Amino acid sequence: MWTLDQRRRLAMEHEILQREGFSQFGVYHYAASDSYYASGLARSSSGRSYNLYMPIPSGFPTQRPPLYVIDPTPLLTASGTSMAALGVSHAMHTLTPHTQGWVQICHWRDARWHSGIVLQKVFLKVLIWIEAYEQHLATGQPLADFVRSMAEAA
Amino acid sequence: MTTNPVQRQMIKEAMQAIAERKPGRSKLVYDKAKRTIVAVAEGSYAPQALNITADDADMFSVVTLSAEWLRERWQELNKVGVLPVSFSSWDGGDALTQSALCVQPSSTIVEGSLLLGEQPSNKAADLAIILQPMDQATTKPDVFLSPDGEAFRAQVLPGAGQSAAVPDIEFADVEPQLALRRVGILETTILKDKTVLCIGLGTGGAFVAVELAKCGVGRFLLVDRDRLSVGNVVRHPGGISQVGRSKVNVLRDLILDKNPKAHVEVHAIEANFDNRDVIAGLLQAADIVICGTDNRQSKLLINELCVAADIPAIYGGAFRRAYGGQVLRVRPRQSPCQQCFVAALPDEAADVEISTAGDAGEVAYSDRLVAVEPGLSLDVLPIANMLAKLALLELLADKSSTLNTLRRDFDAPWYLWLNRPEPGTQYASLPPLSESSDEMTINRWYGVYFDRDEACPVCGDFVASLAASYGLDPAQLPAVADRE
Repeated sequence: MWTLDQRRRLAMEHEILQREGFSQFGVYHYAASDSYYASGLARSSSGRSYNLYMPIPSGFPTQRPPLYVIDPTPLLTASGTSMAALGVSHAMHTLTPHTQGWVQICHWRDARWHSGIVLQKVFLKVLIWIEAYEQHLATGQPLADFVRSMAEAA
Repeated sequence: MTTNPVQRQMIKEAMQAIAERKPGRSKLVYDKAKRTIVAVAEGSYAPQALNITADDADMFSVVTLSAEWLRERWQELNKVGVLPVSFSSWDGGDALTQSALCVQPSSTIVEGSLLLGEQPSNKAADLAIILQPMDQATTKPDVFLSPDGEAFRAQVLPGAGQSAAVPDIEFADVEPQLALRRVGILETTILKDKTVLCIGLGTGGAFVAVELAKCGVGRFLLVDRDRLSVGNVVRHPGGISQVGRSKVNVLRDLILDKNPKAHVEVHAIEANFDNRDVIAGLLQAADIVICGTDNRQSKLLINELCVAADIPAIYGGAFRRAYGGQVLRVRPRQSPCQQCFVAALPDEAADVEISTAGDAGEVAYSDRLVAVEPGLSLDVLPIANMLAKLALLELLADKSSTLNTLRRDFDAPWYLWLNRPEPGTQYASLPPLSESSDEMTINRWYGVYFDRDEACPVCGDFVASLAASYGLDPAQLPAVADRE
């Protein structure tokens, strides 16, 4: 059961995304299960599209929301293997994958997350992750080589 | 103390003879050359006789009975004349402690009987203790004051075949005797009615719980999912004989060993979002929350629940390898909360001890492991001690106590302690303790002041603040759209 504060916060999160140039993403309510999620289509500078899905956990915003790439699936590494199979990877900035095989992008870890972080900032980090991912595909170097400054920041 | 059995026997006989006011085969004399008392055989000079020390004098075994137990059964004893009573036997029978007093009994139990007035014709139990009425009440340890106000002296009846050594008897009146030791500082029994919710019973949290029990806190709600492991034992108050038990149960016994009248409720669950409702329910009964958990998510969850319920909470934690540590006291909406702290001092909030494989797993990657590097218990305990002291001050709020003088000293929301100038930290080049009077050094507490965030997502109004920055009315925000 969502509290009034949570519903207000999610409404505000959606509003920030729309007003800050992230209108390809939004926060939505799924009435059948009274659940919330954020989603949207991220487009890289090379023109590829990535469908992102973030189920909002019941403890949000204190609880960290996971963010998955649901398309393309499977997301592949430069060597053609499944990225989800890497699990919690420092080199690729990924966390435990979804049971459906979706890669979970490491935007913040539980040990760094707090309720002052807005979803706009999460999606910003994910856009950077996608650019780094494509650099990984192009060079074969670990994704972390391209987002090193984000590794332990925030 | 001598280890020579012959000489020990001489001393024992001499002391027993003195205690029983009977002549013995040995006697005690003062040796002028040695300037001490020595035991010598009666009628002969024994220059090799040993010195008698205080340890030697404490050679009689002791039987300890619960005065409260006896008061509760006094009518029954008066009616039937005898009560069965069992004892935990310690140190080869040197101490017999009534089982009613033992939270954790000995592996050797001695059965006994307690008799009123008359000696029995036959003796069934291993140990018979008789209560003889006295003309006048005295306050000696072996005297029991009945609920009717009559005094009775207790004495062990020597059994057939037993040595002449008769153990001393002491009545333990636990609650008043414990209160007597506290009253000089606490001057109040208010803590008896206070409830402390302790979440996280690792080294620090366990220490705090036991210290608060010693202070007389009367009710504990304990939350921890873990079991005591062998590796815990070098830091945790629980010992090797407790390995495998749930920490909540280990702590329950440790608390009851220190405060037998305490009410302890245990919950072997993890402080996580799945158990949010359980923890929120427990909070309703608590006067204060002690958070000894070691991960960000649990601390923020507890913070959110405590602020919502308006319950003060104290958070403690060691930095990596316990080179130092911190304590945060949160008075909801009066002082900064855990979320304010995390936002204001992110580096300090993120500097945590990795003391278990579980802690390491929280921050490790499959391709980048994190080493388990626990600090020493002696480096964790100063932090836990501060946490316990701040908790005590909160529990005594507005009550008269000698401890009130500490309020002006402990008025900061956050406290920092350093055990050593850890290389690789901002404290690596601290001046030596002996050379600094006004610079920061190790082994001192620093109260750090920072402001509560009015726009805090937990204790402030984050949404209103954000809305204002966009010129929006938070009350007019459109609801999140429904989607199939």
